Amino acid sequence: MLEMIIVDGLSFSLPLFIMAIGGIYSEKSGITNLALEGFQGFGAFTGAFVTVYLYGIFGAESSVPYYAGFLFAVIGGGIFALLHALLCVKFNANQVISGVVMNILAVALTSFLTKRINASMFGSNANKFMLGASSRLTIPIIGEVYPFEVMIVIVSIVMWYVMYRTVYGMRLRACGDNPHSADAAGINVYAVRTVAVLISGCLSGMAGMSFAYSVSANFSPDIYLGYGYLSIAALIFGNWSILPSLFACLMFGFARSAGSAVIHQLGLPSSYNDLVRILPYVLTLLLLVFFGKNNRSPRALGQVYNKGQR
Amino acid sequence: MAENIVEFRHITKRFPGIVANDDVSLSVKEGEIFAVLGENGAGKSTLVSMLFGMYEPDEGEIYVRGRLEHINSPRYAGSIGIGMVHQHFRLVSNYTVAENIVLGLEPVSKIFGIFPYVNIKKANHDIAELSERYGLKVNPTDVIENLNVATQQRVEILKMLYREAEILIFDEPTAVLTPQEIESFLKIVKGLRDGGKTIILITHKLREIKAVADRCAIMNRGKLIDVLDVETSSTDDMARMMVGRDVSFKTERKPAKFGDVILDVENLTVRNRAGFEAVKSVSFQIHAGEVFAVAGVSGNGQNELADSIAGLVMPSGGTVKLNGHDITRSSVREHLTAGVAYIPEDRHNVGLVLDFTLRDNFPLRQYYTGKFSSNGIISKSEFESYGEKLAEAYDIRSGQGGSTITREMSGGNQQKAIIARELDMKTPLIIFMQPTRGLDAGAVMNIHRHITAERDRGAAVLLISLDLDEIMDCADTIAVIYNGSISKISPASEISTDEIGLYMMGVKTA
Repeated sequence: MLEMIIVDGLSFSLPLFIMAIGGIYSEKSGITNLALEGFQGFGAFTGAFVTVYLYGIFGAESSVPYYAGFLFAVIGGGIFALLHALLCVKFNANQVISGVVMNILAVALTSFLTKRINASMFGSNANKFMLGASSRLTIPIIGEVYPFEVMIVIVSIVMWYVMYRTVYGMRLRACGDNPHSADAAGINVYAVRTVAVLISGCLSGMAGMSFAYSVSANFSPDIYLGYGYLSIAALIFGNWSILPSLFACLMFGFARSAGSAVIHQLGLPSSYNDLVRILPYVLTLLLLVFFGKNNRSPRALGQVYNKGQR
Repeated sequence: MAENIVEFRHITKRFPGIVANDDVSLSVKEGEIFAVLGENGAGKSTLVSMLFGMYEPDEGEIYVRGRLEHINSPRYAGSIGIGMVHQHFRLVSNYTVAENIVLGLEPVSKIFGIFPYVNIKKANHDIAELSERYGLKVNPTDVIENLNVATQQRVEILKMLYREAEILIFDEPTAVLTPQEIESFLKIVKGLRDGGKTIILITHKLREIKAVADRCAIMNRGKLIDVLDVETSSTDDMARMMVGRDVSFKTERKPAKFGDVILDVENLTVRNRAGFEAVKSVSFQIHAGEVFAVAGVSGNGQNELADSIAGLVMPSGGTVKLNGHDITRSSVREHLTAGVAYIPEDRHNVGLVLDFTLRDNFPLRQYYTGKFSSNGIISKSEFESYGEKLAEAYDIRSGQGGSTITREMSGGNQQKAIIARELDMKTPLIIFMQPTRGLDAGAVMNIHRHITAERDRGAAVLLISLDLDEIMDCADTIAVIYNGSISKISPASEISTDEIGLYMMGVKTA
C-alpha cells in the first residue's frame, strides 16, 4: 500500500511541480500568472491531438506518438502563453484579468476544437481524444513510473540551473524585483519577461499532457480541474523558490494518494474519492493561513513596466 | 587647458505646455567637477538626462569628446562612458552588492567547459578589489535591502566604475544623506575627480557646490543664466541668479512664546506592518506656540510616529494625550474632531485623492459636517465657494481653477492644497511630515512661513523632516530619532547641526 501511495503521489506531484516551476519563471520576472490552468489545458490539447493523429500513422504500439505528443504539448502551451505575454508585456494589460481570460479562452477553444476535429478528421462525435494508458518503466526502489516523470525530473533540474546559475536567470529575477534597475543595467526587460512567460507555457503544456495520461488516459475538458491553481498555491507556499515548491507539490500529491488509499482500504464507495480530491486544496488553505505570512512575492510582481516612467 | 569632454550646443527641449530647456549651450571640461544649479523645474535634470539618453533634444546637438552623438538610450550612454546615479537608486533589493554591480555585465565561467554560469565568486572578488581601489567601502556579499542609503549610493557609484564610465552624473546626491555622510560623499567625489573622472553634479545646495565644484552652471526657468568659476563667486551671487531675485533663506521669526502643553506623548510604542517595533517607548511634550522638530535618517520610525499620532495606525503601547484628553485609541475621525491636522509625507496616496478635482479635495476632512452637507446630500455650491476661498487665501495655482484634477497639478501646488485644507481647520495640533520634499526654494519658503504663522497663532506644531536645514530653520525644540527611540531632545538654540548628525547616525546616544 505504501508503494502505491508513493507511485501515485509522484505521478501527481511531478506534473504539478513542473507547472509550478513555469509559474515561478513568469512571476519571478514580474508577470502575474493565473493562466497556468489554461496553459496546461491548451498544451494537453495540442499534445493529445498530435498523439491521436500519429496513432493513425505509426500505430498504437509505437512510442513515437507518445514523445511527439509531449513535444507538441510543450510547443502548444508555449504558443498559447505568448498571447498572455503579448497582452501583459507588449500591451500593458492588467495581468490578473489577462490570466483569467486565458483560462476561459482555453476551456472554450479546446472544447470547441476537440469536437470539430473529432467530427471532421476522425468521424466521431466524442468531445475527447482517447490516449490510452501510458506504458510504465520500472525503477529500482521507487517502483513503476511513467516515462514523463523521468522527463520532468530532468527538465526541472535544467530549469533550476537556468534560474539560479545562468546570466538569464539572474536577469530574470532582477526584472521581477526592480525592472528599472535591470533596464539601467542594459537589460531588455520586455524580452526577458516574454521569454519567461513562454517558458511557463511550455512547462505547463508538459504538465497538462502528463495529467492527460495519468489521471484520465484521454484529453477532454475534464482536464480543467484546477491543477493550475493548485500549482500556483504550491509556488506561493514555496515562496517563489523552486526547491521549496517541490516539497509543497510532493505534499499535495501524497495527501491525495494517501487519501485514495485509505478510502480503498476501508472499502468505501468510490464516490468518496471525490471527497479525497479536495484534500490538497484544504491542505493548501490551512498551510497558507498558518505559514504563508512570511512569504514575500517578487517586488515588481504584477506592475506594468513602462520604460519612460520614472 | 583641459579639453571639453561634453558640449551641449543650442539644446532646446519642450514638454507639453512647457519649455524645459531653451537654447542651452555649455561645455564641461575633462577632469573637472561641474555643478548644475537651479530650482525645481529649472530644467537641470532634463538637460543632464539628455546626456544620459533618457530624452532626446528637440533641437541642438550634444558632442562627447568632440564627436557628435545621438544618445538615444541609457545603454548607449553607457557604451560611450557615461554613467548616472539617479535620485532614486536603481538597485535590486534582494540581490547582493556584487550581484547588483555586475548585473548586465556578469562574469561567466563554464562547468566542464560547456555549461555557462554566472561566476559569483569572481564577481565578489572583482568588486572587493574595485571597492579597495577607489576607497569606496562596501561588502560584496551584503544584501542591498539591509544597507543604509549612503552605502547604497556607494554601490551605485561602483556600478558606474565597474562599467568604466569616465563621465559620472549625480542627480541630487545628498538629498537623503546626513551631514557626516555628505562630508564623506564630497570627499569621494573629489577623489574620483583626482583619479581623472569628470563629474557632473545636479544640486540646489550652494554649500556643496562651494565645497567641491570647479565650475557651476546656473539655470532658471529652462534658460542658462551663467557659468561661474566657483572659487571667485559668492554663494549670495549664485543664489540670486538661481532664484532670479534677492532671497534671504532665513525665515523671519519672532521668539517663541510657549503656552500650555497641547500634545503629551508617553512611552509610545508602535509596531510596523512586519510586526517590528518601529517606535520604541517614545515620550515628549509639545506646547502651544512651539515647533517641535524630529530629525533623523529615513526609516528610523518617523512614519510610524506620525501615523500613530494622527490616528492612522494604532499604537501597541503608551498613551497620546491632546489637551489632557486621551486619544491613543481613537479613530481617525475622532482625532480630527479632537483637533489633529496632518500633512502626510505621501501627498499622492495619503494626502489627496488625485483623481478628484481641487475643490472636491478641500472638504475631505469636513464634508460630513452641516456646513457641507445635509442628510447625506452634498452641497455643491458650498464646495465651490469654499474651494475658491482656499485657493485664493493660499495662492494655489491650477489650470482650470477649482475644477482642475489634482493629479495634473504641480507638486508644489498639490502640497499647498493639502496645507490649505489642514491649516484652515485651525486645529490645536498640526503634524507636518516632510512638508517640503521635492519642492523648490520658493515653495519651501512659503511653507516655512506657514509653519511659523501657525506657531504664532498658538498651535502646537510637530515637524518631522529628513532635511536638517529645514529643521534648523523652523524648530524651537529639536528631537533626534534613531532606531525608533528619541536619543536627544534639546532647545534648537543649544544644539549644532554636527551634533544632531552624530545623534542621527547613532554615534552619540543619550
